[in-house]
Amino acid sequence: METKYIGEHLLPGELGHFFVLLAFVASIVSTVSYFLATRSRDAINGSSWKKMARVAFFIQVISVFAVFGTLYYIISNHFFEYHYAWEHSSRALPVRYLLACFWEGQEGSFLLWTVWHCVLGTILIRTAGEWENPVMTVISFAQVCLASMLLGIYFFGYKAGSSPFTLLRNDMAGAPIFSDPAYLQKYIQDGNGLNPLLQNYWMVIHPPILFLGFASTIVPFSFAFAGLWKKNFTGWVKPALPWCLFSGMVLATGVMMGAAWAYESLNFGGYWAWDPVENSSMVPWLCIIAGIHTAVIFKHTGHSLKACFFFFITAFILVLYSTFLTRSGILGTTSVHAFTDLGMSGQLLIYLFVFLIPAYTLLIAYQRQIPTVKKEEALDSREFWMFIGSLVLIISAIFILVITSIPVWNKILGSHFAEPVHRRFAYNRIEVFIAIILALGIAMVQYLKFGSTPGGYFRKNILLPTAVSLVIGLLILLFGKIHYDTFGNGFLAALIVMMFASVYAIVANFSYILFMIKGKMRSAGPSVAHAGFGLMLLGILISSSRKEVISHDPMGLLTGVFPADSKENSRNNILLYRNLPMQMADYEVTYLGDSISTPDGKHYYKIHYIRRDTATGKVIEKFNLYPNAFINPKGQQGLISSPASKHYWTHDIYTYLTSVNDPSKIQDTSQYYPHLVKVGDTIFFSNGYMRLDGLDTHPVSPHYQAQPGDIAVGAKLTVYSSDSDIFKVLPIYVLRDSAYENIIPDTLSQLGLFIRFDKILPEQRKIELSIRQSGEQNDWVVLKAYVFHYISLLWLGTILMIIGFAMSIYKKIVPRKQNPVKPIL
Amino acid sequence: MKKSNIVLLVLIAVTIAVIISMVGDFSTYETFASAARQPGKDFHVIGMLDKTRSLVYDPVKDPNYFSFYVKDKAGELEKVVYRGAIPTDFEKSDKIVLVGKMDGQQFECSSILMKCPSKYKANRKAESQQLDSKL
Repeated sequence: METKYIGEHLLPGELGHFFVLLAFVASIVSTVSYFLATRSRDAINGSSWKKMARVAFFIQVISVFAVFGTLYYIISNHFFEYHYAWEHSSRALPVRYLLACFWEGQEGSFLLWTVWHCVLGTILIRTAGEWENPVMTVISFAQVCLASMLLGIYFFGYKAGSSPFTLLRNDMAGAPIFSDPAYLQKYIQDGNGLNPLLQNYWMVIHPPILFLGFASTIVPFSFAFAGLWKKNFTGWVKPALPWCLFSGMVLATGVMMGAAWAYESLNFGGYWAWDPVENSSMVPWLCIIAGIHTAVIFKHTGHSLKACFFFFITAFILVLYSTFLTRSGILGTTSVHAFTDLGMSGQLLIYLFVFLIPAYTLLIAYQRQIPTVKKEEALDSREFWMFIGSLVLIISAIFILVITSIPVWNKILGSHFAEPVHRRFAYNRIEVFIAIILALGIAMVQYLKFGSTPGGYFRKNILLPTAVSLVIGLLILLFGKIHYDTFGNGFLAALIVMMFASVYAIVANFSYILFMIKGKMRSAGPSVAHAGFGLMLLGILISSSRKEVISHDPMGLLTGVFPADSKENSRNNILLYRNLPMQMADYEVTYLGDSISTPDGKHYYKIHYIRRDTATGKVIEKFNLYPNAFINPKGQQGLISSPASKHYWTHDIYTYLTSVNDPSKIQDTSQYYPHLVKVGDTIFFSNGYMRLDGLDTHPVSPHYQAQPGDIAVGAKLTVYSSDSDIFKVLPIYVLRDSAYENIIPDTLSQLGLFIRFDKILPEQRKIELSIRQSGEQNDWVVLKAYVFHYISLLWLGTILMIIGFAMSIYKKIVPRKQNPVKPIL
Repeated sequence: MKKSNIVLLVLIAVTIAVIISMVGDFSTYETFASAARQPGKDFHVIGMLDKTRSLVYDPVKDPNYFSFYVKDKAGELEKVVYRGAIPTDFEKSDKIVLVGKMDGQQFECSSILMKCPSKYKANRKAESQQLDSKL
């Protein structure tokens, strides 16, 4: 007999599933129709297929948004009978994090990707003109693939995709609670909730931007593919360029938001760890940038068209590969973002090949027909060196990809390679040379002309920026304290060269804007973007090479295995007892206490920093930082902590807690000590004193409810702490019904004080107070702190680069205002 | 030959040379025994955390000393010492990757890699255990 379950809301799930199916079918119709429209020789036939394709695409768009809306409805209404809602959300979750739990699961992030394709596709339908048919064929087909990832239907015993609308009881069939028709009310009142590490605004905004970046790489791909398909090998570049710039801009933003998130909220100790997931989102970006540069070369000179095709096709393929890497579980032992296998890795591989094979086949088949310019590029031409730059970008991409894909090599070759032991250095030592070459190119190549550069032109114009850069570089060398010789002097030399090169890139580009294009901002996009990139390189160089740990454990020098300056020294944690200041580099640090649990479950720890002038001892500055942590989230042992940073223009102080004393484990062995006092007397304790100001015969206190027949007396005490804080406390003594003594203590948690009013001794005109102070030895935190010098340059550079992209896109899509024709009179 | 083709070939050659030199740097997943045969050299060791043994981290005594026991692929149990604080969620991990070297009777590890509480947890077993526990 079928169990009839009580209180389930089945309609949303069924609607959601229906719309997924509708999206799937509509996108198939759209793909086929656009395909036939592209191939059709006859205009009327073609346009009728196009109409049908557009209708199908719009139905698909509506369905996708309906799926999105349905899932949102399910989550926001806490329908925990649905597996997705149960797994990723909970009742206590603040509304602003609802979207975060949307993206937390695989299905949700596929849905996000498909939504972006809908938006991009709709814009393309309006703007792509003659290219609409072939380009939309590709995009509709991508929608078919993405929709299939959400189906969760069995085809011949193989499960295609994973639906976000499955019911908990179907996925977990067999769990005994489901034999109870009222399981929903009795056992599943709340969901599993969002992982505490993801409960912040970054998780709401970073995935959409990053996925827009990923999704946007399909547009250059589609245009390139369309060019091959229609054998119109040149006409696609102009309409595609603004999209390519858009893709570069958004993907860069998404990746750097990830870096900012890691820096601000996660404690990987920085903004980039060369983690496989970080790498696999950066590699397609390098490819897009290479593609943009070859497209520009083609536009101006007709060269590099084949390379352009290759780069744009490869960029999208790399996005698919990156998706495969992160979702297949293959990165289990190399990445901190180790995702477990959802069983869809086979499907992801199929999609990789289904785009890869046709695109590369066509490229190889038609390569001879792709126009090339007979005359070689001259050595003094801009296009020659831009092409070299694109190649260097690709080399960097290949290099990063090979190392990141070690788990894939292991699987294919059956080998058991692990990554190099010092991962950061392994990447950095090659990337530093890439950075040098790119920065020099960014500085110098724009001073060449397309075709060939007249003699003296280059030398004349580059002299000033070169001189200025050398001066600035020298100043930084002398005063910038770049001494990173942890990996040898050779690497340090390379870093210094990179410093000069990035300064050169910044100065030369600003110089170009000022002197070469005379401040015409409309054309300044590339120079602004390049200057931004140079600034990023400089920021990365300085902040990473000068990253200092300032939380050295003072005990470590005596008992550590490694000497203090060893690169293996990980004695980077310092123990702080409450109220006991410790010296940490230039700062005197004191842990002052923690907050009572705030509604979102976080504890905030108040850490006080003072910087004194070493000569006079005067306080130069003081501030508080509040690193926070979830302690024992969901009843499990441990700490999930987030850093807190103090930002200056010239450096950041970055702290986080690596351990706290578990408040549930504190056994307070402190005792009450009695004091006999009269009004006006003072009682001293470890870090202050309190004075009995008087007695209050009508005491008012939140802890005390007066009842008729009560005789109540409150002891008015003013507490003065050694930090010059003043508090008032009011412990109360109550005589109820002339027989029962009721003692209502008062507490001062900031100082750990408990004060009881025990007795009144009227003959002596004294009262007895008992005071207990909970041991500060029980309250400690372990802290790690870094200083990142000039990291502001990295963020400023990123913003500048994005502005540069935006300026370039603007120039392409907004036509120049024509001067009005003067009427002839 | 076209200039750009020459450059292309040179760059490809450089790339291959760099990658080959990198391969020399690839580490391998070792066992404690093989790491012991080359004391002082860093290796990756994959193992399972032995939860029956205590995890020692007493920050009051020393905030930079954390020791635990790991059983490697070959089944050998070793004491591992990490000169830092206990990583987040360490007790929850079972498979961990250590980078470090054998030093006498213990493994001195310089970094620990565990699975972070994954965004895409598809941990059906844990979930069904959770549901069962509700009864």
